[in-house]
Amino acid sequence: MAETISRALRDGAFEGEHAPALSIKDTIHTPLGSFVFNHILTQLTSNILAGKSQSRGVVLVALTRPPSFYAELLKNKGFDISLSSKWLRVLDCYSDPLGWKNKLMERGTVRNPYEETLLKTSLCKNLKELDKVLSSIVELGKEIVEEGKGRFAVAIDSVSEILRHSSLPSVARILSHLRSHDQVSCIFCLLHVDLHEAKVAATLEYLSTMHADVEPIVQRTNGQRSASEDLPMVEQCFKRGKFHVRFKRRNGRVRVMREELYVEGSSIKFKEISSEDGMTAQSLVPKVQFNLELSEKERLDRAKVVLPFEHQGTGRPIQIYDGRKSLNESEIEQQQASVEKPQTTEDSGRGEIIYFRDSDDEMPDSDEDPDDDLDI
Amino acid sequence: MASSRPRGSSFSRNISSAATSQIPGVKLGPNGTSFLSSGIPDLDQILGGGFTLGSLVMVMEDPEAPHHMLLLRNFMSQGLVHKQPLLYASPERDPRGFLGTLPSPMASKDEKPHERQKPHERPTEQDSNLRIAWQYKKYLGEQNSEVQRGGKAEYCNDFDVRKPLERHFYSGQRVDCISLRDSPNLVPVLERCSAFSSQISKSDSNITCAGRIAIQSLCSPQCDFSDKEWDMLSFIRSLKGMVRSSGAVAVISFPPSLVSPTFLKRWQHLADTLISVKAIPDEDKELAKLLTGYQDMLGLLSVHKVARMNTQVPAILEATTFSMKLRKRRALILECLNQAPVDGSSGSSYGTSSSCSGSSKTGNLDF
Amino acid sequence: MDNSRPNLLEEALVEDVIGSVKTQKRGRVVVVEDCVETSAAFVLHHFLKRSLQPDSSDVVVFIAFAHPFSHYERILRKMGCNLAVQRKNQRFLFLDMLMLECPDRNGGEAKDDGLLTLYGEIEKAVEIYSSLEGSRTITIMIDDVSLMEVAANGSSNHVLDFLHYCYTLKAKYGCSLVTLNHEDIYSSANTLPLILQLEYLADVIIKAEPLATGLASDVHGQECKDDYAVLPAKNIMAKLWEHRCNRPKFGF
Repeated sequence: MAETISRALRDGAFEGEHAPALSIKDTIHTPLGSFVFNHILTQLTSNILAGKSQSRGVVLVALTRPPSFYAELLKNKGFDISLSSKWLRVLDCYSDPLGWKNKLMERGTVRNPYEETLLKTSLCKNLKELDKVLSSIVELGKEIVEEGKGRFAVAIDSVSEILRHSSLPSVARILSHLRSHDQVSCIFCLLHVDLHEAKVAATLEYLSTMHADVEPIVQRTNGQRSASEDLPMVEQCFKRGKFHVRFKRRNGRVRVMREELYVEGSSIKFKEISSEDGMTAQSLVPKVQFNLELSEKERLDRAKVVLPFEHQGTGRPIQIYDGRKSLNESEIEQQQASVEKPQTTEDSGRGEIIYFRDSDDEMPDSDEDPDDDLDI
Repeated sequence: MASSRPRGSSFSRNISSAATSQIPGVKLGPNGTSFLSSGIPDLDQILGGGFTLGSLVMVMEDPEAPHHMLLLRNFMSQGLVHKQPLLYASPERDPRGFLGTLPSPMASKDEKPHERQKPHERPTEQDSNLRIAWQYKKYLGEQNSEVQRGGKAEYCNDFDVRKPLERHFYSGQRVDCISLRDSPNLVPVLERCSAFSSQISKSDSNITCAGRIAIQSLCSPQCDFSDKEWDMLSFIRSLKGMVRSSGAVAVISFPPSLVSPTFLKRWQHLADTLISVKAIPDEDKELAKLLTGYQDMLGLLSVHKVARMNTQVPAILEATTFSMKLRKRRALILECLNQAPVDGSSGSSYGTSSSCSGSSKTGNLDF
Repeated sequence: MDNSRPNLLEEALVEDVIGSVKTQKRGRVVVVEDCVETSAAFVLHHFLKRSLQPDSSDVVVFIAFAHPFSHYERILRKMGCNLAVQRKNQRFLFLDMLMLECPDRNGGEAKDDGLLTLYGEIEKAVEIYSSLEGSRTITIMIDDVSLMEVAANGSSNHVLDFLHYCYTLKAKYGCSLVTLNHEDIYSSANTLPLILQLEYLADVIIKAEPLATGLASDVHGQECKDDYAVLPAKNIMAKLWEHRCNRPKFGF
């Protein structure tokens, strides 16, 4: 399933459509969102390097991790960092998002506060001016693609950090602008849901074509912050999680996929969930599981069913057995025997109720009188 | 606490005789700390010697009972008896009037209570607060037969809640009173506190003088700033910083129900010593059966946090909840709660014996 | 204290370089959380002592909002570490922030921003220390974040900005960052982001909680350590142990 996401991001935007956008969401109970983000980043990078993808390069907006972190990540994955300038630009919003270091340098308090990396970075010194951030993202992207036509991908390593400095509408505006930009191939971003109101997650879901939720294996019942009593569970939650993806497909359908993800070394692995719970089916389809209407054939079949005692009325006045031997008992018995024969022969045409008694301990059927005390 | 006391005792006693001679009412404790008496001998003992100098004591009030006033009164009176500077802030219009309700030390043998109370001195609002103490007037039958103590100032006195402090204790001294209602914010109060603590600032562990700051009902709703929670929090933090660098103890009482839950936690974290007082239900048959000495109890006092200065060893008290009683209808004492044995009450249970020994011990402590 | 046997607290500060190719000193972000009933200040003292051990040359920058220098000095002296001497030896920088006030509530754009100045002091110190000879880890400790919030007059965003800048020092200089905070303050939804943000950025979370059975005089609480999302991510552990300090020493 993670492959499906990577494929969608690789294929990029179709002509005349907005770029696909993926939002990755997690909570503190299972804080594995950044792992998923890194996984997708490396997948996309290898696709770009193999020439398979629509985008020619990635613009990485680094907010919660320093550029050096990504340099090391990519190096550990076997990419050649020294050639990275061809396919990667980092907009460094991590090192100095408010310009403090710059101010301190001007004041002479510190000399060289900025970190050096092998990646080609561009420093953002005021995160509060989102329009500038936007234009520098586009600028960096154009640097990668050079000649006019190509497209690039945008990765934002946590929207939560931007939201701390700016309002939700302005962030939404940036995202939708990027999606509609004709040189953007795809966007993916990370969000820590529990840092924000529910509205934020909803907005991001609305803006994206795919959203992936990292959920705890076991849903916490009380929703409280973890206490140490359930440490084994806390440990599990930091190692494994449910990966729940919803795809908005172009044909208007929604594809829901669930996988389990677990941390292995420095990366994550995905695993199929064997037992498929029909969550969506239940929520979409009405809950009633009965046929309230009968088809024509069913109605005919029902008409053929002979209910108990009904056979007594074949042509004769109905006599209910009253426990006493009636005068013409033997006569009727003989006739009944003759009636039963044709019954068996035309069985195929008639409806029939066959039932089994589960055991002999069961209560006797209703038309019996085990104590012989009923006055029927 | 119990574990830390015996170790420090031999060390502190030697110096204390020398040091306390200079500063009346200050006792040296372990780890280079000093204590001020709370004015309640039993509470001093529970806290391991008293309120640590430089600490912030917060008292969580009961919304229905004025027991925090007992604590404040004893705390203030003790300071006045020791001739320590006092700063008192309250939400009343005339905080100085409160001084007339302070209890008088019991040890005084020569002075007769010739002026029991001057009605014009006490504003009417104070009367309601006093009622808890004054209602015991009707039980007054027996003659007081206190142990007479030496004429020199003791570290900790027993106070007679029925006898007002003589005027000379607070007329001549540095006693500063502020009404919290005078200004829309806490800035003037903080300025007064800052001026107060700079007077008595200690220079590098050499305490020249100890002071007491008492603030009653900090967040009471009649103050204009009572809805500005960050301002109050910042005031408490600043006060804590001031007190810490000076030789003073600040006691703040506040009604916890009027503070929002997260801020309540913040306040509790800010407190060095955290005490709460609770009312007990009147004529509760269940409780009467459960607790021995229920009839005499005024209320309950719990110690949640004990100031830990210059040490990281937490204070683990043997008991955290105590009953407040008036001994001989006069002196406030604290006793361990003890649940009655099944058959009813018995005279020689642990709690009573410990309280007796407790109060007698504090009497014997001659610092 | 028995130093030969590493315990959970010891592990917390030291980065064990398993997956990394190059062995370099890299700091960690440690978040210590406690509550009214159980103070976790002892964790800070413990880290302080560890960092200032005579056989290492590590440096500590201590930002104190809670107690004056004398308090820490007394405690550390009992633990066998003289802070005054370390201060002279340039291994311990104590920033007394007891009276710091930065009253601007609306963003940090004021001219005289207390937290910016404080950060400047920290960065300056870190820059100087790291330029000295020898390999050393610089640990920045903050006691405690909730008081810093009060100093910033309730602007948790401002505090987070400050902490973010401290984190950037980790990237550049490999500093460790240890912060103490009180978990029980942040129970309502609108105050939650601060502590959650700290937890998201943390490598190690240490919590001190009272034992369910109540306090006893030799066992003062249990602690759990959640260690996760370290770079490169490694096995995640969460362990539980009892912390005893019936004497002014620790045994685990």
